[in-house]
Amino acid sequence: MDTEKKNKLRTFIKSYLQEHGDAGELKDDDSLFISARLDSLAMITLISFLEQTFGVNFGDVDFDVELIDSVNEIELFLDGG
Amino acid sequence: MRVWRDNFAIETHQGVVGFAQTIFGRVFLLLLFSIAYSAATEAWKPSGVVFAAAAFAFLPRYRTVIIFVATLGVLAKDPFWYGMEAIDYVMKQERLTSLSGKYSAYVALVSFFVCSLATLELVRRNKTLYVARRPVITLIAAVAVMSVTAAYPILHGTPLVLLWAFITVFSAYIWFLAYSLVDQRSRDRSPHLFQLGTFHPFWGSSSVPYGKGATFLRKTLAKTSGDLAVTQLKGLKLVLWTVVLLWLRKLLVWVFEVKLKIPDVAALQAFHVTGQGYSILVGWTAVVWATASDTLVLAIAGHKAVAVARLAGFRLPRNTWRPLQSRTLAEFWNRYYYYFKELLVEFFFIPTFLRTFRNHPRLRMFFATFMAAGIGNAAFHFIRDIKFVATQGLWDSIVSYQSYVFYTFVLATGIGISQVRMNSGAKPSNAFHARLWSFLCVWTFVVCLHVFGDETRVYTLWQRLSFMASLIGVK
Repeated sequence: MDTEKKNKLRTFIKSYLQEHGDAGELKDDDSLFISARLDSLAMITLISFLEQTFGVNFGDVDFDVELIDSVNEIELFLDGG
Repeated sequence: MRVWRDNFAIETHQGVVGFAQTIFGRVFLLLLFSIAYSAATEAWKPSGVVFAAAAFAFLPRYRTVIIFVATLGVLAKDPFWYGMEAIDYVMKQERLTSLSGKYSAYVALVSFFVCSLATLELVRRNKTLYVARRPVITLIAAVAVMSVTAAYPILHGTPLVLLWAFITVFSAYIWFLAYSLVDQRSRDRSPHLFQLGTFHPFWGSSSVPYGKGATFLRKTLAKTSGDLAVTQLKGLKLVLWTVVLLWLRKLLVWVFEVKLKIPDVAALQAFHVTGQGYSILVGWTAVVWATASDTLVLAIAGHKAVAVARLAGFRLPRNTWRPLQSRTLAEFWNRYYYYFKELLVEFFFIPTFLRTFRNHPRLRMFFATFMAAGIGNAAFHFIRDIKFVATQGLWDSIVSYQSYVFYTFVLATGIGISQVRMNSGAKPSNAFHARLWSFLCVWTFVVCLHVFGDETRVYTLWQRLSFMASLIGVK
């Protein structure tokens, strides 16, 4: 994933967190869902964003929350890791 | 309100957090927690659960053994927490006097734990098995096959009682096993003994796993001494808040049931069916009070469990979190019963959302919500109350479920519309009148729906609709 795409992802997650009253720092390896920082409804918003922005088809994936639990894990997933 | 709340944010004061990390501070915190917990449970004696939580927090090397032994200890104290109605009914029906119902339940419990252990090991070794890829469908299919087998005259006598005992236990633990099966896919999955320790864990639960499964518990576990102190202080605050809610409920019971003599909704429904009169004011007061009482009971039970889990070091979100502040139905669903909503989202919403209507965003959101809050909700409660298949028969138990199915479908439609609106960018205003309007809309919907969500299965959907109509003056 190039820097521009990663920045786009970071910006999306940060703005979602801010909209929901979380102004805390976001590190690339911070857990989003398993740590309960974001809930499952936020997960749906993130999945929709990834589908629309990066063209991912989650229907083809054996989905697990760990795949998209942090910026780094999303990067790894999008890069096919 | 915010200033008032900030005054109680003791976990944000460095001095308090530092003190809670000293030996004296830990003993003091444990003592306070123990006193508050005994008040919250009205047991008025030191609880083994509190000491198990403390041992789990302070002896990290032995956590797997502690969680397993503590959960086993709580199970030994209350081995029939899921109810024995089905077993007792079938024993009477089969006229079995030589077999003890409790003995059957013990056999079923041991068999279930052995089967679970074997399944976990099987899934760990082979992740391509159907049960590994689709654990929830497999488990629901297992309940369905066993229930149909038990409901038809294939088995008789002791084998039938033993099958019903196993179905009862399996239905009570099904969602705990589902979470554990899902965890087998994790890179850092927990050992089997830890998994079994999360099956109706020692800190408390219903058929809904409070704290979800090992995956969530592992990740929410406090990593540093400072984190642990903050988590435990939050646990202490929560258990103290539970005592306040308990006393608030007692006060409200005294006001509504003792002083105002407001009958419960079941009694009013019986009055309605038998043609006895009651005023509309009494009817609405009864329904509003029943909704408020159920919310308080749910909050108290959830807070007690989450508080103990926090004492053990799990940074768990609350089960019920300021439901009165819900601005939309979707938000209400999130705030009212968090762990039930998470279960439905994880096992019904996400699989549906990922696989259906990808090119129709609104329909996709609505359908996935409907599958969770409607179909998933109905399936969960039918399985939880599987005793009705034993006591009423398979067909009658489905027919008597009509009112609850109506409840789940209306709820799902409401939440689905709310979800679609939120997803389309609709945001409620923060003005006072808008907040008041949201509160009235959300809670009017919830109170009205409460009439149909009663789980006793005594009255038909038509009788409940007729009762609801009587509340708005329609005869």
